[in-house]
Amino acid sequence: MTGDAGLAIGYELQGAGLTGPPGVLVATARAAEAAGVDYLVFPDRPATATDSAGPPAAAVVAPWIAAQTSRIGLVTTGSTAYHEPYHLARMVASLDHVSAGRAGWQVVTGPDDLADANHRREGVDPAAHREARAAEFVGVVRDLWDSWEDGAFVPDKASGRFIDGSRIHAIDHAGPALRVRGPLNVARPPQGHPVVFASAADAPVASTADVLTVGDPESGDAGRPRVLAVVPFVGRTGAHAAELHARAGAPRSDHERAVVVGDPDEVVGQLSSWAGSVTGLTLRFRDPSQVAVFTDEVLPRLRRVRPDGAGTLRDRLGLPRAANRLAVQTATAVERS
Amino acid sequence: MSVQRTLHLGLMFWATGTHAAGWRHPDARADAAYDIRLIQEVSQAAERAKLDFVFLGDRLATDPALQHSNPAQISRLEPFTTAAAIAAATSHVGIVVTANPTYSDPYSIARLLASLDHLDGGRTAWNLVTGADAAAALNFGRDAHWDTGKRYDWAEETLRVVRALWDNAPGPDGRGGRPIHHRGTYFSVDGPLDVGAPPQGQVVLLSAGTSDRSRDLGAREADMVFAGPQPTLAARREFYADIKARAARYGRADQVTVLPGLTPVVAPTTEEAVARYDELNSLLVLAPEEEVGELVRAGGIGEGYRLSRTSASRLFGVDLRGCDLTAQVPAETLAAVSEEGRRRLAEITRLTRRTATGPHRITYGDLVYATPTQLSHTVVGDPYEVADMIQEWFEERLADGFNIYPSSVPGSVTDFVDLVVPELQRRGLFRKDYQGTTLREHLGLAVPPRRSA
Repeated sequence: MTGDAGLAIGYELQGAGLTGPPGVLVATARAAEAAGVDYLVFPDRPATATDSAGPPAAAVVAPWIAAQTSRIGLVTTGSTAYHEPYHLARMVASLDHVSAGRAGWQVVTGPDDLADANHRREGVDPAAHREARAAEFVGVVRDLWDSWEDGAFVPDKASGRFIDGSRIHAIDHAGPALRVRGPLNVARPPQGHPVVFASAADAPVASTADVLTVGDPESGDAGRPRVLAVVPFVGRTGAHAAELHARAGAPRSDHERAVVVGDPDEVVGQLSSWAGSVTGLTLRFRDPSQVAVFTDEVLPRLRRVRPDGAGTLRDRLGLPRAANRLAVQTATAVERS
Repeated sequence: MSVQRTLHLGLMFWATGTHAAGWRHPDARADAAYDIRLIQEVSQAAERAKLDFVFLGDRLATDPALQHSNPAQISRLEPFTTAAAIAAATSHVGIVVTANPTYSDPYSIARLLASLDHLDGGRTAWNLVTGADAAAALNFGRDAHWDTGKRYDWAEETLRVVRALWDNAPGPDGRGGRPIHHRGTYFSVDGPLDVGAPPQGQVVLLSAGTSDRSRDLGAREADMVFAGPQPTLAARREFYADIKARAARYGRADQVTVLPGLTPVVAPTTEEAVARYDELNSLLVLAPEEEVGELVRAGGIGEGYRLSRTSASRLFGVDLRGCDLTAQVPAETLAAVSEEGRRRLAEITRLTRRTATGPHRITYGDLVYATPTQLSHTVVGDPYEVADMIQEWFEERLADGFNIYPSSVPGSVTDFVDLVVPELQRRGLFRKDYQGTTLREHLGLAVPPRRSA
């Protein structure tokens, strides 16, 4: 652990006042960007247990926000159970293109009985093959992102060469749960691979993610980039914070998130103590007023991975651009011959 | 009939332009497919011209072999992603997204479209396609491409579920969502939709196709029906009249707008327009002659011959191999062409004003470039000639409007909105300003009443 380690900071926008109406969402996103937040996480659940409307689908919200911001990372949530990998791969790749390398994908796998009941179709029961499908899904998506090598999109007016077909590859994936021929119909994303986030507790996909989300800074594969999910209750005083926490039902830390309660000094101290253990923190706000308090009172005092806030989402998380797995194989084949 | 017919115009967006060499034109941006800023600017140009919509086509596969014959079909941003970015940069113009139910499920489609309709304030339309493209099946775990009957059965049930989800989604106050408990042939969907009902109630629906099934679906369900290129005036007239007659049988004759595709190659003078058309064709890359005669897929939107001297020889029935594309064709050669060839010669004359014997003679290049199947009707001329053609088709009831296919992006978009739209407005054919903010309002359609599941 080094004393000068910084943290990447993400805000998860969920709950009343943070996601709707659309104008509020844009204002929240822009304020977060102006304050130097590294990324926003857009949760997504294709089902509801109530008669009330939730936010628009993350796959549409994220590019809409991308068009109205310029620096902040945008992590869209997509389930392996309810998407086709070809659709998911091109949506996230397209988000990376329209945001100039700011895209991430939070992969979730369920289970979710209510969502299953919205997505049954001939030959497809999301509940039946959930784990087998999840186990293959991320690898297929990464292969599709790699199916166009960098530089395959040529468009050279002078020669009339639009693409370089030798750098575009079928993936011919044929697994127990998924079959996808490829190639994708989108050029390789600016980051190579948009950043894949997964919960460390989500067994079928945790080993395939770029970044693991953990609820305890000591949990998860310590050799890999991890972000800690944090539910903050920041009060003017410790007593005020305790009151806010109690009013929210006094949630406790568990394997999914760390609950932090205190005045700004206490919260800064607590969060800073995790720098070096984890790459970053994803803040899950329970109350819209907490966003402003955290942004004003805590955020400016945290040491950051990229204090200049420049570059792609990978840059902000200290991750290198993803190498192309399919192009590497081609290069190896050439060397061998 | 008391309601005044009004012309409708949309902009078909293929980033390469709809001419196979459009992306190579000096006024084109070759990398437009991945420049979202440019795509937004083109959409803003459409909005300044008060167009009804910008249309995002799609295809769920790619084929690098199409790079010279149909580069638009190779690669693009995903339509909902593009649409969301356009929504953020515009306020009035409609946004048409293509979504293919064959490779999706109704809940996902209903949810994405409702979400977009919220973010763009009621400007969304769904281009329902069923995918004529066998290659897509292999990207979605299928061994075989479904036949047309299965695709339409599936699409029809999808549409019923999508409409039920929207009708029973939470209302404008964000509450009151109701389950639909759909149990059909293909789908089992409980609901309710987790996103509020679209501001348009039902998102505007588009369909296309000439088969009996597609015509019936369009007449019964669609708000706009796209007409593909038809070889003859009689075929254009028949298609328009048939859609209207079928729609009348469903009690919705006034509610279906028939829109053929139209590629206008326009310039301030006829001479300049023809020069522009010739310049575009001169940028085409011919297929190697040894690959002659093979039919190649033009990617889900029809089939075409390879662009080559040998293919042209076969179509015209005269030997064009080794010809100099810029040289004039002797009149006796033109007199010997096949019946299909004679039809193409008339097309060439209509587009280039060149003839077999007049002062401006047909060239070998004209024959070769006329060989591939065209994606849409093309008109070459000055602003008055293009407006005349649009007016004639509108008044002759061959069209209620057009889906404009710009041959290059952004150059041909600019030409159309700057040169042709003002002339159509001057003639009182096209709106000078929007009368509302939703696509339904642009089309003169009311928000339909909500039906309970």
